[in-house]
Amino acid sequence: MTEWLTELLVPFSYNYMLKAMWVSALVGGVCAFLSAYLMLKGWSLMGDALGHSIVPGVAGAYILGAPFAVGAFFAGLLAALAMQFVKHKSRLREDAVIGLVFTALFALGLLMASIWPTSVSIQTIVLGNILAISDEDVVQVAIIAAVSLAILLLVWKDLMVTFFDESHARSIGIRTGFLKVLFFTLLSACTVAALQTVGACLVIAMVVTPGATAYLLTDRFGRLIVISVALGVLTSFFGAYISYFLDGATGGVIVTLQTLIFLFAFYFAPKHGVLAARRRRKALTDGASVESAA
Amino acid sequence: MITLIDFFVMPLSYPFMQRALVVSLLVAAVCAVLSCYLVLKGWSLMGDAISHAVLPGIVIAYVLSIPLAIGAFVAGLACALLTGYLKENSRVKEDTVMGIVFSGMFGFGLVIFTKVETEQHLNHILFGNVLGVTVQDLIETAIVAGGTLLVVLLKRRDLLLYCFDPNHARSIGLPVRVLHYGLLVLLSLTIVASLKAVGIILVIAMLIGPGATAYLLTDSFERMLLIAITVAMASAALGTIVSFHIDGATGACIVLLQALFFILAFLFAPKRGILRQRQSLPDQPAS
Repeated sequence: MTEWLTELLVPFSYNYMLKAMWVSALVGGVCAFLSAYLMLKGWSLMGDALGHSIVPGVAGAYILGAPFAVGAFFAGLLAALAMQFVKHKSRLREDAVIGLVFTALFALGLLMASIWPTSVSIQTIVLGNILAISDEDVVQVAIIAAVSLAILLLVWKDLMVTFFDESHARSIGIRTGFLKVLFFTLLSACTVAALQTVGACLVIAMVVTPGATAYLLTDRFGRLIVISVALGVLTSFFGAYISYFLDGATGGVIVTLQTLIFLFAFYFAPKHGVLAARRRRKALTDGASVESAA
Repeated sequence: MITLIDFFVMPLSYPFMQRALVVSLLVAAVCAVLSCYLVLKGWSLMGDAISHAVLPGIVIAYVLSIPLAIGAFVAGLACALLTGYLKENSRVKEDTVMGIVFSGMFGFGLVIFTKVETEQHLNHILFGNVLGVTVQDLIETAIVAGGTLLVVLLKRRDLLLYCFDPNHARSIGLPVRVLHYGLLVLLSLTIVASLKAVGIILVIAMLIGPGATAYLLTDSFERMLLIAITVAMASAALGTIVSFHIDGATGACIVLLQALFFILAFLFAPKRGILRQRQSLPDQPAS
């Protein structure tokens, strides 16, 4: 029994594991905060698109030896501008435009990585590698996450009003345009941070799934954010922890945990779950049959 | 002149380059046809979702030692069906559900991949390995791609009507549900066929780019199909050869060339290019 326990505590005795766990938890929390807004607005796929679009920026930064966050930021900006421009100037649907831009940028990143394979590992970018994250990268991720979190805590109410009812927000003096730009800047910043923990392909889960799960569990937005952040922190922390025993795939474990919890909420949520709906329907038909009998 | 010919012919003196070229052309053609329907239907991101979701299917098929294509196909279809089911039964928006499902499946695929001893390289599944295509791969791809292409082209009018106006399609008695799921099946099959050539991430580009480019150039659907196929196959041939010379990833070269074609069409399309729009602006009556 005690052997078993010591085995479970092993990850805590390694420095790199401790680092991986707290960095993941921090990033998971901030991404989950954003996910509350993202999934309500139906912008989920922007998260996916941004995650893929910043790949050439990150690859370029590694090749040039610059901070990865700077490269990612420029690539993200380029992607957002390109999407806006093409959308306004052509008759294509928005989803096609998003898909076109992010896949082209992703291909560019891939090509760069294949031509200079020594300075950049495409697998690290696409799948993340939090267990072997360098100290400089930790500093960048921690700064991004902490600043984003601070800003979100300051403006979360204004953001909520803006996203739920823009004209009302404007009438009470909230600068909605500025807030939207701020939100997307935060989103790109957090995408960059999440790239380090789960990789480009799974960023979308970090900025969508916790919010959607919380949405099934509560009707109040303040509580939704709290639940979402709690889910993000816990799944990321334990995802990193469990990945020690699997020798890798941290991103995969984190996202699998998040998806399992979503499915759990989908069935068992007290008010919005499938089982609750079934119970209500049954109660309704029972009531109806009683009435018709009477 | 000789150097130009050399540029194209020299790579093709290697058998692996010949196979790569044939596979790329096949995959490009079938993806291009599908992309026309996806662009019209607004399903561009369905391709994104299904292609990510096939990863666990491939790994599980490997464990059970059944053909990888079957595992991939089942997983892709499961993603589409699960997305539909979760959307019907909860208040979460469709795009969110789609994101949850495909990222969950992709993440799960990564987890089991690390636990399974395979000879498959993850990089090859993700980004394709067109230069390592064997004759058997070639035959498999040809069967899946050829079959898909045949079905789509035979049913192209019904599918078109369904994509444009499902209600009208229903009212004239077309089996809309069959068409809906048929299109999903065809999409999954196309992604499976493309795995070897471009991998599960870049196939998304091949399922959007050619259709979007063609859509800017014409109003007739038949012509749109032709343009999309031409653009896709030209990009595939050029991309394969260019990647040989610059020693870069083949799938990425193909996708970037398709993007280049899109940019050209976006700028210079005779009716809808932005340069043409700018010229004709003053002619419009002020209102």
